[in-house]
Amino acid sequence: MSSHSHVEGQLPHEPERATLEGRNKITGFWLFLGGETVLFGTLFAAYLTLRGQIMDGPAPNELFDFALVAVATALLLTSSLTSVFSMQAMHRHDVKGLIGWLLVTLVLGAAFLGVEIYEFNHYAHMGHTFSASAFSTSFYTLVGFHGAHVAFGLFWVILLLFQLKKRGLNTTTAPKVYLFSLYWHFIDVVWVFIFTVVYLMGKVG
Amino acid sequence: MAGHEQTTQRSDVKTTKQEGSKKHIIAFIFSILLTFIAFALVMAGEINIDFVYILLVVLAIVQVFVQMAFWMHMKDRGHTFAIIAILSGVIVVFTCVIMALFWTTW
Repeated sequence: MSSHSHVEGQLPHEPERATLEGRNKITGFWLFLGGETVLFGTLFAAYLTLRGQIMDGPAPNELFDFALVAVATALLLTSSLTSVFSMQAMHRHDVKGLIGWLLVTLVLGAAFLGVEIYEFNHYAHMGHTFSASAFSTSFYTLVGFHGAHVAFGLFWVILLLFQLKKRGLNTTTAPKVYLFSLYWHFIDVVWVFIFTVVYLMGKVG
Repeated sequence: MAGHEQTTQRSDVKTTKQEGSKKHIIAFIFSILLTFIAFALVMAGEINIDFVYILLVVLAIVQVFVQMAFWMHMKDRGHTFAIIAILSGVIVVFTCVIMALFWTTW
């Protein structure tokens, strides 16, 4: 309703849904997320099948460093919340708030990636290299794919920040930022399962 | 008349926005709490392993439901396609995971 009645030059409450193109992008992106669910699901299935085959490498319960995993989880969960705040700022048409919260999300995401790189390096020094065992290969494929998604998200949000600075918030840029927010939440949702299935269940045995 | 309508609409939008911020923070605290319970469950040890596995999966699914409903707005109107897309993915995932578990425990 509001999308049809808005005054020229004034953004509607939800600028990401104001144009047909914007709505189509959101619908298409949900289809993409459905495909991403399958991608991660197959990697989870592979990990569950192979995690018992450790050969000479370290076992999951003696390998995982829970201090690092807890920090990484807190960083990613908080970055998901700050991306919600960026969407709320967008709905208030508060461009400064939007850019500010996206920057916080970017910093938290980068910190998460830093922790993960340190963690992988730490594990590799313990003999848990990519080709050490079927367990290590499936572990790095699953967790590394998630990390690659985080890295992609960081590049994406940097480009969006440049575009927002240059063009401001309008019905073209709003759907793009909204899609990033959906993507970022999805990455956090996948991490909840990685945290549970890989780390916690690895500790139990 | 039209002006009056607009002001009521405005105040409606304002209240939903304020409630919105609160519910997202509640979702965040709830997520932290669920993560902490899962973490404590594993650290406690000395419990039946099968029971811990099931409880961990349930805790993860609850947390994901909360995040998808509130943060990804899947509980809002106009998200039927979103639910269909994610559910189609979940069906494939469920099949794969069941097959993986069947293969390893058979």
